Amino acid sequence: MKGLIIFLISLLVFMVGCAAPVPTPAPTPAPAPKLYPEVKGSFIEGVSGGDAETLNWILAADATSFSYAGQTFDSLATYDNDWNVILRHLAKPVEVSEDGLTYTIIIRDDLKWSDGIKVTAEDYVYTLKNLMFSDWLNYTYQTDWQEEVNGETVFVEPEVVNETTFTIKRQTIDPEFIDNAIYSLTPYPKHIASKYEGDVKAFTEAEEFNNLTYTGNLGPYRFKEWIRNDKYVVERNPDYYLGQDTGAPYFEQYTTKLLGTSVAALAALEAGDIHYTGIEPEQVAKFKQMEGIKVYTVPTRAYDLIVYNLRNNGWEGLKQKKVRQALSMSIDKQTFIDAIRFGFADPAFSFIPKPSPWYTEEGVSKFGLGPLYDKEKAKQLLFEAGYGIKEPDGTIVVRDKDGKPIKLTLVTTTGSKLTEDITLFVKQELGDIGIEVDFKLVPWPTQLRQYMMNKVLGSDQEPRYNNGPDAVSEEPWDMMVLAFNTHPIAPSGSRVFFITDGGLNFWGYSNERVDELFLKVRSKEALDEEVRKKMYAEISQIIAEDQPANFLSFPRSNHGFQANVEGIDPGMRLGWNYHEWYFAEP
Amino acid sequence: MKRGGLQGYIIKRLIYAALIAFGVVTITFILLRVGPTSPADKYLANISARTQDPSQVIAAVEARYGLDKPIYQQYFDYLVNMARGDWGWSFSTSLPVMKLIQRHWVYSFQLILLSMLFSASLGILIGIYSAVKQYTKTDYLATFFSFIGISIPNFWLGIMLILLFSVQLGWFKTYYDTGLPMFSLANLKALILPVITLGTGMMAGYTRYARSATLDNLRKEFVKTARAKGLPERVVIGKHVFRNAILPIITIIMFDLSGVVFGGAYLTEIIFGIPGLGRISFNAIFANDYPVVVTITLIGAMVVLLTNLATDIVYTWLDPRIRYD
Amino acid sequence: MKQISSKLGGLRNLIFIGTLLVLILILLLDIYLVDDQILGPMEYFYLFFAILVILYGIYPLYVNRRLTKYYWERTKRHRLSVFGLIFIVFLVAVAFIGPFLTQDPTEVDFQEKSLPPVAFSIEQSVYDLKSDQFLTTETPGTWQHPLGTDDKGRDMLAMLVSGARVSLQVGLLAVLIAIFIGTIIGVLSAYLGGWADMALMRFTDIMMTFPFFLLLVFIIFIFGPRLIFIILAIGLTGWTGTARLVRSEALSLRTREFIMASKSLGASDGRIIFRHLIPNVLSSIIVIATLSIPGVILAEAALSFIGLGDPTVTSWGRVLHAGQRSLDTAWWVAVEPGIMLFLTVLAFNFLGDGIRDAFDPRSQL
Repeated sequence: MKGLIIFLISLLVFMVGCAAPVPTPAPTPAPAPKLYPEVKGSFIEGVSGGDAETLNWILAADATSFSYAGQTFDSLATYDNDWNVILRHLAKPVEVSEDGLTYTIIIRDDLKWSDGIKVTAEDYVYTLKNLMFSDWLNYTYQTDWQEEVNGETVFVEPEVVNETTFTIKRQTIDPEFIDNAIYSLTPYPKHIASKYEGDVKAFTEAEEFNNLTYTGNLGPYRFKEWIRNDKYVVERNPDYYLGQDTGAPYFEQYTTKLLGTSVAALAALEAGDIHYTGIEPEQVAKFKQMEGIKVYTVPTRAYDLIVYNLRNNGWEGLKQKKVRQALSMSIDKQTFIDAIRFGFADPAFSFIPKPSPWYTEEGVSKFGLGPLYDKEKAKQLLFEAGYGIKEPDGTIVVRDKDGKPIKLTLVTTTGSKLTEDITLFVKQELGDIGIEVDFKLVPWPTQLRQYMMNKVLGSDQEPRYNNGPDAVSEEPWDMMVLAFNTHPIAPSGSRVFFITDGGLNFWGYSNERVDELFLKVRSKEALDEEVRKKMYAEISQIIAEDQPANFLSFPRSNHGFQANVEGIDPGMRLGWNYHEWYFAEP
Repeated sequence: MKRGGLQGYIIKRLIYAALIAFGVVTITFILLRVGPTSPADKYLANISARTQDPSQVIAAVEARYGLDKPIYQQYFDYLVNMARGDWGWSFSTSLPVMKLIQRHWVYSFQLILLSMLFSASLGILIGIYSAVKQYTKTDYLATFFSFIGISIPNFWLGIMLILLFSVQLGWFKTYYDTGLPMFSLANLKALILPVITLGTGMMAGYTRYARSATLDNLRKEFVKTARAKGLPERVVIGKHVFRNAILPIITIIMFDLSGVVFGGAYLTEIIFGIPGLGRISFNAIFANDYPVVVTITLIGAMVVLLTNLATDIVYTWLDPRIRYD
Repeated sequence: MKQISSKLGGLRNLIFIGTLLVLILILLLDIYLVDDQILGPMEYFYLFFAILVILYGIYPLYVNRRLTKYYWERTKRHRLSVFGLIFIVFLVAVAFIGPFLTQDPTEVDFQEKSLPPVAFSIEQSVYDLKSDQFLTTETPGTWQHPLGTDDKGRDMLAMLVSGARVSLQVGLLAVLIAIFIGTIIGVLSAYLGGWADMALMRFTDIMMTFPFFLLLVFIIFIFGPRLIFIILAIGLTGWTGTARLVRSEALSLRTREFIMASKSLGASDGRIIFRHLIPNVLSSIIVIATLSIPGVILAEAALSFIGLGDPTVTSWGRVLHAGQRSLDTAWWVAVEPGIMLFLTVLAFNFLGDGIRDAFDPRSQL
């Protein structure tokens, strides 16, 4: 038996041996596929805007400051292009209690500050309670962490549980609190910040915070140098907690270079002096046709709109829904998108952007598009509202109640080519139905102070953005061109514009059902996503029907990269994985 | 010329300069306060979903930077701090003002210096040559070109140059690289286009002044004498005429200095992406960054005053006829 | 009649005051009786200025044939300055008549945007979101817009004409303000002497040491980018040169005999200043004025270029500012106003140079 087995095995071996391939020139074995890109190169992003204000982010008010500092530390979580939550400093997803009032946050335990000390829940709670909530620092975005309880505004309650866990307790429900506030939270080191506590000047001038010397392994890059109005350079952080296995990030250095004008930025991209910059709509065609450049067109969360003044110092006609609808019906959204945005936008009818899971088109009136873009119908509506005269031959001439032509004032911010374009377009369109538009181009602070802030005449109130339904702004106005942002996941933040006592409801819109819905959206039943979706759909439908503002478009932005940059995931959140970008093999 | 006289004169002028500087600072402070804008404005601009009370925000921001104190208090504090060497904190760039200026003045300086060398030397040469060959074709041509130089809007010229030489021809980079060591050839090369942009405007002025100063002197007696003596024309011009003509030319160059820095240089810096003082100062204005604006205005004024003083001293040295009582 | 006219210093002054009164009457009627103003405030100012120039500038030249001929001969020698003068006259004509002949420069038509000038043709692409494709069309220029249109469809020719108006306005007004202030300060300083002289000159020094453009940006940024502020700001910061010059000339004149003679005859201070001092420094003032205009025009253009221009006014600088974004897709929007600015500044420089040489007794023309 044993012999047979040995024989069979030998036979097997012999057969296998015979089956060995005849030595023909073997194809060169493919190199073992590289799992991760090589680290090489110095990436340069060109921007034509302004420089950041400070790297001490809690003092900043501009987005650039946050983005500069944000290259050296991640936040608790971020989103990818499909709005999936991607954990960063969070070790596990945030736990929400049954009653929706307690949030438990567990952070990773491998995060360290630059001096080796571990990042703990203490740091987070300290940053919240002693820095962000403090009145000696006066953090600009405090309201994200506040709630109304019995008519009073109070802060939420953070509390340390253990080294890696802390809780935040609320007294009112807000299902969007996580998206609005928690995910973007970043900590200051308690052991360094406490040295400056209470002393604004010292905190402002603190070396560690202005030179980001404390960031440890919290982010893909480390601060290298910042030459004001010139460039901001960060170098690769080999200790990056996310890069331990993958070797990310794959650039030795990331430079944000400030070029004074967009002409210079685009010239630099074309000449190959920079690797990435935003491209103006009118230039996109040219760059898309270039060999060495890749252009990505992605949706954004901003939208432009024309706000109607519903307060007492606006044209009285605007208080009628019919009139507002008529005005919106006269403005051709498709031409606007084609002519002014060169086709790079989606028409907007509500404040929720298309990529948002809460977006709906059903039942939402699409003024300005298709059948609802009809200048004749608009004139008819105006006539019905009492603002027109019917000529003997049946045509309608639009007139104010006193028989004179209607003159409306349109307020726009100076310095923005886009809003200027919109202004002129509106003037042209409304001119076609017989309404004269006078525009006022003012600097932004003036617009805020004189047209948006309001108070009741004769009272000694402090002007605020919403001092009640009887308040009016200092200067009269009828329409205003603006651009807003909506958090696609947490659109309830926009309530400040639409509810009757919304803090930023400067135009005086009021609809009881809308107020009700926005309240419900932050209630227990809204914890169920299906229910919330229905609520948002109804809000959109009501607002589209009411037309307190003419929502124009959700613009798309264009990003130009050198063709050899790989790893880009194009979408609304183009840069979410920027630590995975790399230079392809030449 | 008495030694004591000159010293006394310098001291008098320095005191006088200090008074002027004082006046400049005062006027700047007043202007800053009179305007309706405030550094808190950009905080107000954040209205995506924030609802803080605007007046509270303004109050808090101003308190943060010490701007809530009455203007005379701020003024006094500023002067006291200045004496101690603390020139304030720039809140639009989060740096001490002095440090900000320290880090950026070199870029402006090298641009201006090179531009002045370029335009002055070229300009003076052309001017003198032009004067000597007065009324010839060369003279008219030179005058014509200098007029062109002074008339072209220099910001337009800069953009055209970039389009042509950087984008189309690729000879130069489209923006200035601050990483280059200052005294390297690469750095000089990168400055060629900006210097041409800034220099052409300045050159015309120098050409004309050189021409007219030379013309003035050519008519003078000593030139006839020198020629009668049989000296070669080159020496006549080069030594005698030049020495006399140089004084007014230097004056003009000095006077031009501050206008150049804060006028032409700013636009050139913006177009070519050079982070010099021009750019810093204008950004500070737009950001309502008071400390930076006051300091840079002051520096500008001091530069003018000191160069005037220096010019006068040089005058004395070159022209023994002037006395100082 | 004779008594009145001699009291006012001559028939000429009588005519002047008479026309002024008529003008004011028309102005009042315009404001209060007619609904929509027939003439804007600028037009009134131009009429007033035109009358002033005719009565006090052109008429004396006409009367003093010989003097005029003398100056003209000298200016004519300078060929370049003659070209400058011709161009300026052309520009003034364009500024006056042009707006009646061209389209409305603020009328937008997005269907006609970015059209090239008549002899050129350009490719234009519109992106279609749904198909992710570009629809490219070849668009030629048309005679309807001979110089092309900008990115909002506004006619370039109309905008250039409007820009001419604005630049001339700014140039004229700002320089007038600067000269007015400068002359007053200079003359007062020279005439009053003593501590008034010291104080005024110190003040002038302070203003002189302020970097001009920085101060300008400063003022406009604080008070807002409106044309009237821009003109005022330029005027209020540019008078120092005039003041210094006027003062030094006035000082030298003061000791001249004819002044002393006047004084001993009992002439009042005002009379001396107006009848003797000012006419004598006038030639220098004119030279300075003409040479300041290019700087003022460029200053306004530079302000518009960095975005501080008046957005409701169509000036060359503003068109340039908008045009620099599309240098490669619509080059004419940046090039055309640039050329106009260049030519205008050049013309004033030539003219000023010519006038200066003409008035300068030392130069042998």
